[in-house]
Amino acid sequence: MTNFIDYFLGGVSTGAIIALMALALVLVWRSTRVVNFAQLGQAMITTFIALTVRDATGSWLLALVAAMASGLIVGVIVYFLVIRPVKRLDTSGAIIATFGVLIALQALAGMIWGGDQKAFPPPISNSGYEVFGRTWPFSPYDLLVVVLLLVLVLTMTVVFTRTSVGLAMRASAFNPEVARLSGVRVNRMLILGWAIAGLVGAIAGVLVAPLSTLSPTSFDIFLVFAFTAAVIGGLDSLVGAVAFGIGTGLVISLVSGYTDSGNAPVVALVLLVLNLLFKPEGVFSHHKARAV
Amino acid sequence: MSKIRDLTERAPGSRLVTHALIALVIFGILTWFNQVVDPLMSYYLATAAMYATAMFGMTILVGLSGQVSLGNGALMAVGGYVFALTSLNWQTVPILGLPWNALWSMAFAGIGGVVFGLLIGGVAARLRGPYLAGLTLGIAVGVPAIANRFPELLGGENGLMLQVPYPAGGYASVDDGFDEEFIDDGSGEGFTEDEPIYEELPDEFFEDAPIDEPLGEEDMLSEDDFLTEDDFLSEDDFVSDDDMLTEDDFLSEDDFLTEEDFSTDEGFDAGVDAGGDDAVAEDEFIDDPGVGSELDLAGVDSGFIIEQWQASVAVSVACIVGFIALNLVRGRQGRVWQAVRDDPVAAAVSGISPSGSKISAFVVSSLFAALAGAVFAQILSYVGPGAFALGLSLSLLVGIVLGGRNSLIGAMIGAVILVWLPEFVLSLASDRGWEDQVTNNAPNFVYGLAVVLVVLAAPGGLVGGVQEVVKRVARR
Amino acid sequence: MLRVEGLSVSYGAVQALNDVSLEVPPGRVTAVIGANGAGKSTLMRSLAGLVKPQGGRVLFEDEDITGRKPEDVARMGIALVPEGRSTIPDLTVEENLKLGGMWRSHTQRGTSLTRVYSLFPVLSERRSLGADTLSGGERQQLAIGRALMCGPQVLLLDEPSLGLAPLIVTQILELVSQMAKDSGMAVLLVEQNAATALRVARTGIVLNLGQIVKSGPAQDIANDEELRHAYLGY
Repeated sequence: MTNFIDYFLGGVSTGAIIALMALALVLVWRSTRVVNFAQLGQAMITTFIALTVRDATGSWLLALVAAMASGLIVGVIVYFLVIRPVKRLDTSGAIIATFGVLIALQALAGMIWGGDQKAFPPPISNSGYEVFGRTWPFSPYDLLVVVLLLVLVLTMTVVFTRTSVGLAMRASAFNPEVARLSGVRVNRMLILGWAIAGLVGAIAGVLVAPLSTLSPTSFDIFLVFAFTAAVIGGLDSLVGAVAFGIGTGLVISLVSGYTDSGNAPVVALVLLVLNLLFKPEGVFSHHKARAV
Repeated sequence: MSKIRDLTERAPGSRLVTHALIALVIFGILTWFNQVVDPLMSYYLATAAMYATAMFGMTILVGLSGQVSLGNGALMAVGGYVFALTSLNWQTVPILGLPWNALWSMAFAGIGGVVFGLLIGGVAARLRGPYLAGLTLGIAVGVPAIANRFPELLGGENGLMLQVPYPAGGYASVDDGFDEEFIDDGSGEGFTEDEPIYEELPDEFFEDAPIDEPLGEEDMLSEDDFLTEDDFLSEDDFVSDDDMLTEDDFLSEDDFLTEEDFSTDEGFDAGVDAGGDDAVAEDEFIDDPGVGSELDLAGVDSGFIIEQWQASVAVSVACIVGFIALNLVRGRQGRVWQAVRDDPVAAAVSGISPSGSKISAFVVSSLFAALAGAVFAQILSYVGPGAFALGLSLSLLVGIVLGGRNSLIGAMIGAVILVWLPEFVLSLASDRGWEDQVTNNAPNFVYGLAVVLVVLAAPGGLVGGVQEVVKRVARR
Repeated sequence: MLRVEGLSVSYGAVQALNDVSLEVPPGRVTAVIGANGAGKSTLMRSLAGLVKPQGGRVLFEDEDITGRKPEDVARMGIALVPEGRSTIPDLTVEENLKLGGMWRSHTQRGTSLTRVYSLFPVLSERRSLGADTLSGGERQQLAIGRALMCGPQVLLLDEPSLGLAPLIVTQILELVSQMAKDSGMAVLLVEQNAATALRVARTGIVLNLGQIVKSGPAQDIANDEELRHAYLGY
């Protein structure tokens, strides 16, 4: 039983991070109907920037701020350079373009910072809490991650459901023409969606970096996890992204604990396949994922 | 060109013949090319042919059928591993000589590809754009990870070494310093039938040394152990006048290549002195195939160049696959795929099953990818998860996008780009003294930007762009 | 006042509107009628900025607004209620309404919301429910309500009667007509159901194959049997 609790706790912070990345994917999907496969590449670059800032200043907080700022900027840049022109073409063009951006970003990171694994030191202790004479697999840092996740999700929920901007963004995603006729500047809402997604992804990247190592390709597997979580929750659903993000993290942690850590990608794959077979539009969604 | 199309339109049978002719001509050109160039170029040719084989499948899947999939790298892995496993474990008694073995393994690889293609297609073909891309992304990342799960069977992180049979006799295996044969994990795997090292050691080596017993005669020094006259240096061992270099030994004008030598093939092959005893024979040129390892030729006839053999295998497979692809693409099936891509509802109304058509595209591209994977295994003489990682799938996608995703010629151009660009960057890098990390990543950076540019400005890739230009010129 | 001068719109080779000129004066309903495919919707969409005309001008208060983006046109005070229900089912009724007129001040929006709820009590009852729970007629009310939230000086109504029971249609149109008289709002009404339209309108404009064939007092057009037979199908 203690094993179960261990694996459970171990999965919570990973789950929180996957939830954040899934959230970024869903944000972009809801505003532009594009799955931004480059999202995690953007998060990787902003995390490298954060690491550079941290090494230069010694402050994790500054690094986080730098990541958030660059996340906003990179998100907007990618939108303008790539998505805005491509959207006029076809779906497969947009998908291919985001992969192109991902490849370019990974290569860029490799050129600037090199390909080896780098360490990103956590701001507070990363070793488990000592409770009842035992070291639990849940550390102060994990707590920080979960708290930040809750804060972010709460903020975004409030913004989306109770503010005019949030309403405008949602309407722009659901029916851009009606939104336009109502006077909403839809293009600005799209840009905002991408900027926020970039911000969220950047935060997720900075949070996950201390838990393993940082390299141009270290987020690849997270892309699969985040996409899996987002799809299971329903690409339209922010709640779904969070819920299934955490769920995916827990499942992976449990499976890794009971069997072997290398199983993680296979687990994600199995989850994804099961979901796409039986409920491809996701648990919380209205829309259709199937063409035929 | 349109006249040829008219001809083939009128008589489907003759279309098959035309396609066969095209395939044969290309095969002929490439085979000739293979024979005349140096082994490094043969290696490039082999790699390009291997890429082209996989990319013909991508053209069908991503281009004609419109399904953006990242799964083909994983399917190459399937083909490669099936080929490797059947080669290592199912060594049937050679019937007509060794090549038969490889053909069986390739056939099995193809079957593996078809099976996996059906499995994946069954799920994926029902999905739209981003869901399909995401699923295949998961497959691309997940399938190679499976190899790590079964280290005994699949070789784990380090992969499996292959022994590739050659028609000239003997085997060649790649020795990159890691000798699997020395690892006894109790499963019996890792020991190859032909080079059982342990048998060469005398049996006494394994017997426990009798420590407690007193020394016997065998342990004592005998006459044989002492130096004799034969062991000492004599006059013969020293350098004499005869050994010294004289004028004759030095290169003179006659030895240098003149224009005449350049106009014949012999000039190149024979080295400095055309046709003389000093000529360096072909088999003495053993080039580094670029894998970073040493080729260990055992019992192979001289005159056999491994890269040429690999290239001829790769080119043969590519031409056969290309022939099949050409028939499919230019035939009814190609039109069906495109119809389903462009308007699935209209296609369904016309009696075509959209899901069936999508699945068939998956199966065909999986077959091609698996065969390409088997060829890849032969070129590398190795399969491992690292060789089939996500980057491979992304490279395939990049290749057809840049070359032109709706055209088989585009696939071939893409294959050439994938082989040529890294080398071009390498030469640029050495000229300008770039750091390693820049050189290694520069090709990918270019690929990424190029893909975005192509999607924005020239969605048809290089081939599409050329077609546009031709159209505009023709209009005038 | 909204003025259209020589407007021409084509979709590729098809000429949808050919040199159309008209006025939409404030305080009353102007009806544009004609058979299917006459170009009525194209006219509305061009005025709202969803379609760019190939020729001609659209003037609002003497300012040339031809080819402006729809969100800018809306913010200037011209609100289109497009064909079809045009409500967003994923949002609640109140959210749908609040979508309109976001650039206006808090007080203005509050006043407009109260007004819409009093005009369409059904919407008030269901304000927290999803818009997908409304019936056809209710959704039409919602669409008009959203347009009204923009505080428009010109209301463009594109075929509001589609799929609605005649009684409801009459109700809605009379409501709109009354609003126009009370607030001085200009209403341009496009309708296939010519009879109903002409009953509430002051001026009638008959469109056929992209061109205006007759324009004048609604009464006269309604009484002109030949005209009705030729272009209006009754």
